[in-house]
Amino acid sequence: MLAGKGFRKAYNLNGGIRAWNGHTAAGPYDMGMTYLRGDEDAREIIGLAYGMEEGLRGFYMAVGERTEDKEVADLARKLSGIEDRHKKRLFDLYLTLDSGLDGREAFESRIVNNVMEGGSTTEEFLERNREFMKTSPDLLNIAMMLETQALDLYMRYSEKLRDEKGKDVLFGLAEEEKGHLESLGRLMDKRV
Amino acid sequence: MQIEQDDAAVINLDPEEARGFMRNHKEGTYTILDVRQPGEYEKARIPGAKLVPLPELVDRLGELDPQRPVIAY
Repeated sequence: MLAGKGFRKAYNLNGGIRAWNGHTAAGPYDMGMTYLRGDEDAREIIGLAYGMEEGLRGFYMAVGERTEDKEVADLARKLSGIEDRHKKRLFDLYLTLDSGLDGREAFESRIVNNVMEGGSTTEEFLERNREFMKTSPDLLNIAMMLETQALDLYMRYSEKLRDEKGKDVLFGLAEEEKGHLESLGRLMDKRV
Repeated sequence: MQIEQDDAAVINLDPEEARGFMRNHKEGTYTILDVRQPGEYEKARIPGAKLVPLPELVDRLGELDPQRPVIAY
């Protein structure tokens, strides 16, 4: 149908979702969408994403603090470090759009940070998944699931958002999540 | 892996080829189109897929960018 309607490149996935062997996201289309009005500008989008990255960093820190398994603690520290780097990149990007900003503290004071990437609060998520975070492969699986949901959320945000610059920020964030997923996959392969 | 297409025909991609395509193209430069029903979309989808159930596709084609490659399932 698409090829006959002016679409330049149309591909069909052989076997559909049943044959798909990559990561999958789940949940309704509007899950996590209440945090986005749709009329935000790029700076507000960066602030929103920064809060989510901070939420996820806090989650990994909490996992590391609560576990007695050294390997899980080390992995949790490593994962929280990755989220720190994401935050730094977002702040640097913010500075390119708002040169009048009065330091990172002023930026962070505007951020709502009780939401993780994917839309849950840290405590809610820890409580729901306590049983699945006892070993480092468990934690890697959870991390991959969270990054997959985040990628999906950023792309759903990009559909709702009207600002083109903001959309580009979201595409960049989704692209980062894609790269992060590949690194996590490699880390998992090393362990198996 | 680079998959290109010059004419307007639909090309079939195996999952591995589709994954290669997604790896080699930046987010926002292509569309993953999920034409199943919302209940199926909610259970499992390719991350970032846009949901347009097949019965609605003709009426909602305007939501898709014809210049971007579309991978449908």
